Parts: sequence; structure tokens; C-alpha cells
Amino acid sequence: MRTKQEYLIRYKDGNLYCELADIWIDPSKPVKKALITHAHFDHFTFGCEEYISTKETAILLKERVGDNIKIKTFEYGEEFKINGINISFHPSGHILGSSQIRFIFAEEKWLISGDFKLQRDQTCKQFEIVKTDYLISECTFGLPIFKWDESNKIANDISKWITNSPEKTSLLFCYSLGKAQRLLNELSQTNFKGNIYSHGSIHKMNNRYRELGIDIKDTIKIENKKKIDELKGSLILLPPSLSKGSYLKNFKNIQTAFASGWMSIRALRKRSGYDKGFAISDHADWDGILEVVKKSEAKNVFFHHGDSEALSKYLVEKESINVLLFGK
Amino acid sequence: MSLKKFSELFGDLDSINSTNNKIEVLKNYFLSNDPIDNSWAIYLLTGKSNKRFISGRYLKNLFSQIYEYPQWLIDTCYLKVGDSAEVITLLLKNKTNLRKKKLSNISLNELLSETIPALSKLNEYEKNLEIKNLWEKLPEDNHLIFNKILTGTFRVGVSIGLITKSISKLTNIEEEIISHRLMGDFKPSIDSYQILINKNINLQELNSKPFPFLLANTIEDKIFKNSINDFQFEWKYDGIRMQLIKRSGNVSLWTRGQELVNQSFPELVEKMSHIKDDFVLDGELLVWNFKEQIAFDFSLLQKRINRKSPTRSIQIKYPIIFIAYDLLEINGRDIREIKLENRRIELEKFFSKWQIKTENNISDIFKICDLIFPKDWPDALTYKEKSRENNTEGLIIKKKTSIYSSGRKKGIWWKYKVDPMQLDAVLIYAKGGSGRRAGLYTDYSFALWKDKELIKFASAYSGLTNIEIKELDKWIRKNTIEKFGPVRSLKPEMVFEISFEKIQISKRHKSGIAVRFPRITKWRKDKKINDADSLDNAYELMKKIL
Repeated sequence: MRTKQEYLIRYKDGNLYCELADIWIDPSKPVKKALITHAHFDHFTFGCEEYISTKETAILLKERVGDNIKIKTFEYGEEFKINGINISFHPSGHILGSSQIRFIFAEEKWLISGDFKLQRDQTCKQFEIVKTDYLISECTFGLPIFKWDESNKIANDISKWITNSPEKTSLLFCYSLGKAQRLLNELSQTNFKGNIYSHGSIHKMNNRYRELGIDIKDTIKIENKKKIDELKGSLILLPPSLSKGSYLKNFKNIQTAFASGWMSIRALRKRSGYDKGFAISDHADWDGILEVVKKSEAKNVFFHHGDSEALSKYLVEKESINVLLFGK
Repeated sequence: MSLKKFSELFGDLDSINSTNNKIEVLKNYFLSNDPIDNSWAIYLLTGKSNKRFISGRYLKNLFSQIYEYPQWLIDTCYLKVGDSAEVITLLLKNKTNLRKKKLSNISLNELLSETIPALSKLNEYEKNLEIKNLWEKLPEDNHLIFNKILTGTFRVGVSIGLITKSISKLTNIEEEIISHRLMGDFKPSIDSYQILINKNINLQELNSKPFPFLLANTIEDKIFKNSINDFQFEWKYDGIRMQLIKRSGNVSLWTRGQELVNQSFPELVEKMSHIKDDFVLDGELLVWNFKEQIAFDFSLLQKRINRKSPTRSIQIKYPIIFIAYDLLEINGRDIREIKLENRRIELEKFFSKWQIKTENNISDIFKICDLIFPKDWPDALTYKEKSRENNTEGLIIKKKTSIYSSGRKKGIWWKYKVDPMQLDAVLIYAKGGSGRRAGLYTDYSFALWKDKELIKFASAYSGLTNIEIKELDKWIRKNTIEKFGPVRSLKPEMVFEISFEKIQISKRHKSGIAVRFPRITKWRKDKKINDADSLDNAYELMKKIL
């Protein structure tokens, strides 16, 4: 086994870095060359000299940081070379454009899972099993208490939640990129026939999704001066950042909910301050992570994002998989 | 009707914040279910009994055994979830082999009166097998309720008042009657539900039950505008509030938490049974210093509360007294509608009669409360300030013309506490101490209620004894919800009395208030988190000082 210093990919200043190619993966500070797994704010930063991503991620990225960035795009599965290393993007099923990134160097394979899920999501490409020697996986929900319900069941619950309170305006908080569009897609397959409004930050992402050919329900951009009566019985999608503070005063007679994997735990649900929680996530649950670890056939696994202590111990004890730690 | 319905009700009540909606949901539930299931629902929702069939630990061990899950993994999950019943419910979701024939139509009654009680007749092996069997047969949505009932941890944010309101709405019977019918040991049965909703009101039926307690409000400024002569003044004792009832010759002793505690205080029950009249008395139970004629500290009373059938030596070591301050019923006649000043006359009249006419001496265990007669409000204040000297908490001020209604009605009784800078708060965070206290969780944060939410209002680290610190540290480790570095967020369960010197408005704190020199003055093990104070109480305190 190689030592830490010799790993093809390692942690440097809290980010994943490949020294041989002098390339960073989802860096949190400006660098020369950055591979971007997907366009969530915690996976890229402004000011890198060059970005490399999938085509869809590039479009979403530009929506967020503007057109003035240098960005090179590749198709899923398309291999490109940097300093003799073969690199390719593969669908990770997290949001539109999201990818796993594979590195092959001297017949040794490395796979960075990026954020991923296995569950159904018709707004992005299904997760692809990629075989590897070394796997660097996320583990946001790395405990067996996390087991997601089918997304159409959650969508039906949301639909029922709205229609059971026709006198109220239903505010559903969710991440503006990915989660919102997935919910809109799922809701179009339920009985819910009311109006759906979305906040500007969500609305612009909806438009990008539609332009990229994703089927999501029609939404109306929420205007501040909407008459309160018009909103009765409708659904309004808002980013979580608006849940605290004065924004909610724009509405009367509301019920609130949060769509997030964390809502599967009652104590977190109660503490969140929302009336209701819908446990739907764009990350893999415990079984999902285990499945990917096993099917990737990786002999060595690293975890980042989340508390991996329990998952690591479990893999070592129960599955005899070698779990390694990065020196951060 | 099925357990499924009850699970849905639980889910609804858990996610609805509006009181009116909760009442509506409850009313609809009662409308669409059998009397027997309704009576069980009321029994569970009002927390009449939280009998524990198996412990949380047992449940976790059992799951670990059956599904070959490492115990440490379940424990790690528990840290995140903070409730054994819920951890196992969530872990059961991960068992895809739960595909047996479903017990989808089991009723709440069947589960509670047959299935679960039957478990206690089995030996351990059979019991484990049966629980596994039930897990596999019950539909997934019912697992949480089932596990919570098994472990005696069923709780939901519904007060007895809400149940009362919803039944009252359903039946058009006054809340007072429903509330009285719900007092005491409500046993789930078709009959008990029928009696609850019966439109014919028969006083006999309420024979064994205490009346709904009248509760005091925190003092308000406007009271000082009234004539002092409009009020009756009593010391505020720091004991256990109780109704002492003798009806048809039988004595029963009910706490405000509606527990029958005859067994804990047999000497009182025995003595009172010698009185010839029937009565209902409202008063306070205390451990009494007969030499100085003042109450002992509450901590001595705690030594008696949880002890059933105390030995003679315990009875002598911790001598109790019942101090009556109101007479609610005499020889079958309900006198709650009579003015307080006249009830007092009756109370005094009967007390002196009982002292003379009862064969056994009752004065060593029973007396009526002394009244105080301040000549004006400043004088009342002086009395209040002196109350520490006789081990009372301040004054209780009662409107002489008031009737005895139920609950925390405004404008009837007030409490005027000696140290107004005191609030009962819920422990929500703990942080590891340093130096001498290293390795122990000794820095605590406390919260007050705001609607249904607990808002942090003060941090304190002094006031507990070393023994208490150790005990609390142990509890903290077992009841952590989440760790943020050195800080743990805790299951809201423990209530403490926090004292402080100054209270003022602060924009820097989420609570909107800042307190000076907060310290813990009492670990209120006798209080549930719902008994803790609210931010509104804190604002009231502030107003009073300004």
C-alpha cells in the first residue's frame, strides 16, 4: 500500500487535490484549475482561472457566477487527459449535470463520487456504477436511520398537505437548485392541480432546467405585491434562507414545511421551526452509500462530507473494506 | 377502526401548531372512531398512564439481536435521534424483509387491551419472538406508535385542556363538566367514553374524582389599584398541591398532576378517615417542622414523594402536614360557586368542629392555612419580603368574591413570589467544564417557552452540588441529541429554577432579554418541561421591576 503522500488524490487545505495534474476538485478558494462536480454553492468558488465540468453544470454555474468565466466542458463518459492522467465525468444522480469524476493513472483508478443518490429523479441522469480501486465518497447521511421513502410517496404527501388546507398558503422551503426542480417534476405526477409559485432564485433555475429539456411543472414567479387571496390553496417554493426573518410577513394564514433528508428525525423536525417536514433528499441514504461502495469494487475507501465514523467502522467490521483517513 | 388512524392522528397533532386546528383534528378523530378506541386515544393523549412494558435499552438490544446489528451502531444512531422508540422505528425501515401478512386492521383497543398486555405473560424468548412478529406484521406507519407504547414514552404536544375543548365541542357539554369527568383515573372502556360524552350530567358519577384545580397567575400591576380589602392573603407554601377528598367515607389524596397518592401518605389518609363529615379540601402537603411551626425545605418532601408505603421511621423522620386553604365540597354539597370569603367561613367552622369532635387528634397532621392581614399594599410587600423567614415562597393573593373555577383563570388568584427574579427553565445545551470540572458537563444553557418553542435565555454553571453535577452529567451523556464540538444539545426534559439579579431588554439575544448573574437555585425534578416558564413570564418580571 502506498503512503499518504503518494496518493494520487489527497486533501490539501481542506480540499481535494491532485498534485500530478495540479488540479483541484470543488475547491473552496480560487485556484488555477478546478474540476466542478456540480453547481451547488458549497462545491465551487468564484475567481478560479479555469473551470472544467459537464455541459449542464457549466450552464448552471454561469447562471450563478455570470458568463465571464473560463470553463471547459465534457460529455459524460468522455475522457480527457491532463499530465498523462485520464479523467472523465460520470452521472451521479444528485442534480442536473452532477457528476462523479474518475481518474486513471498508470492503471490505477480513482473515483470521486461527488454528491450522489441512487433514488429516482427524472430531472437528471441516473447514477452510473463506475468500478474503481480507490473511492472517495460523500457520506452526508451515513447512519442506518436514514432510509428514504419513494419520492412519489413524498410528492403525494406534499400534495395532500396542500389540499387538506385549502384556506392556507403553503410555503415549502427547499434548495433552489435541484431539490426545487425535482419536487416540481414529482408534483406534476400527483393530483395537485393548484398554482405553484416560486421565488426568483428558484424561478431562474426552473427556466434553465426547462431550456435543457427537463419536464417540470409550470411555475409563476412570486411578486411581492401579490394579493393574499390569490395565494390561498397554492404552493409557494422558497429557499430556506427566507424561513427566518421578515420575508414571511408578506403572507397571511400560512403553513410551512421543509423538504430535506434531515426531516426524517423528529427532534430535528421539531427544532427546525417548520410546521412540517418532508424527508426527501438528493443524497444517498445508508443503503445507497453501502451499495455504491460495494458495487464500485473499491478496495480502499475514503469518506468526506459528513460524520463518517460509524459508517467506516461498519464497513471495516462487517464488510472487511479498507477505509482510509485523509490527513486533513 | 384501526391503529393506522391513531398513527395518523399522532402525525397530525405532531405537525400542527395552531390550537384550533388541533381541536378540529381531535374532534374529527373522535367523531369517526369507536367509543372504545376513543377512550384509549384519550387515555394515551392525556398521559394518564405511561406504563413501560419494556425499556428502551431492551428494545435496542432486541433489535440488535434479531437483525444482527452491532450495538454500538444503534447507540450512535440514538445520539442523533434521542429516543429509543424512534431509533428502532427508523432502523426497521431499513429491513426490507418485513413483508409478512399485514396486521393492517388491528384496532387501538386490540393492541392495548390484548396484544401488548399478553406480552407480559410470555417468557423472555417468546416475548422477543412475538415483538419481532409484530414488527413484521404491523404496517410501517404504525411502528412508531407501537414502539412508543411498548417503552412507555408516548407523548405528543396536546394538553388535557385541548382534549377537554375538543370533547366539549363535539358534545356541546360545558368544558367544566368534561374536565371534571376527565380528572382522576380515567380507565379506558366503552363505558368511560360514554360517560364522558353523556349529555345527562349526574354528580354521583364524579364521586371519586377531584375537581379541576384552580391555579394562580403571576401578579399583575393592576391589582395594586384595587382596595387591599378586596383580597385574602395567604403564605405561598412550597409543597405539593393536593385535593384531600372524603366521600362516602373514603379518603383519597390527589395531586395536581392527577395522581392518587394515598399509598405515599398513609398516616394522613388514616387520620382523616376519623372525621365524620364528607368533604373536598384544596391545600398543600408539606414536611413540617412542628417545633418552629414552619415548613421544611422542599428537598425533604422529595424524600417522601416517590416512596410508596413509607415505614414508620420514615414517617417520623419526615413528618407531613396537610394545610387546607379551601373547602370545595361539604357533605355532598358542591360549594365552589360560593364566594371565597364565605367558603373560608365554612372552612374555619368545620375545622374547629373537627378539632373538637374527632376522637383522634388531627392537629398533628392537618391544619388550615393562616391568613395574613396587610393594612395596605406596601405592607403586603413587607410581608412578602419576610416570607423567606418562614420558608414560604411569598404570598398568594385571592379575590374574596371569586368562585372556584378551573384552570389558570385570570383575575382570581395571584402568586406574589418573594424573589421575583426567578424562572423555571428547561436545560437545552451543555458544555464541558474546564479545570476542576474537566471531563464533566458543567456549563448549562436554559430555555423558556415561546409558543411551542424553547428559546435559550440564560447560561449558568453554578448552584448545583457536586453530587448533582455528577448525576446531571450522566444524564446529559445519555440524552444528547447532537454534538457541536464541545457543546451538546439535549433532550428537553430537565427543569431548573434559575435565579438572577437583573433582567433587561437585549437585542443581542434571540430571547430579547438579558439576565445578570443567572444561577441555578433548584433542580425541579418534580416539574415537567411543560411546567417551565415562558418568555412572556420573563417580560412580566421585567415590567414589574420598571
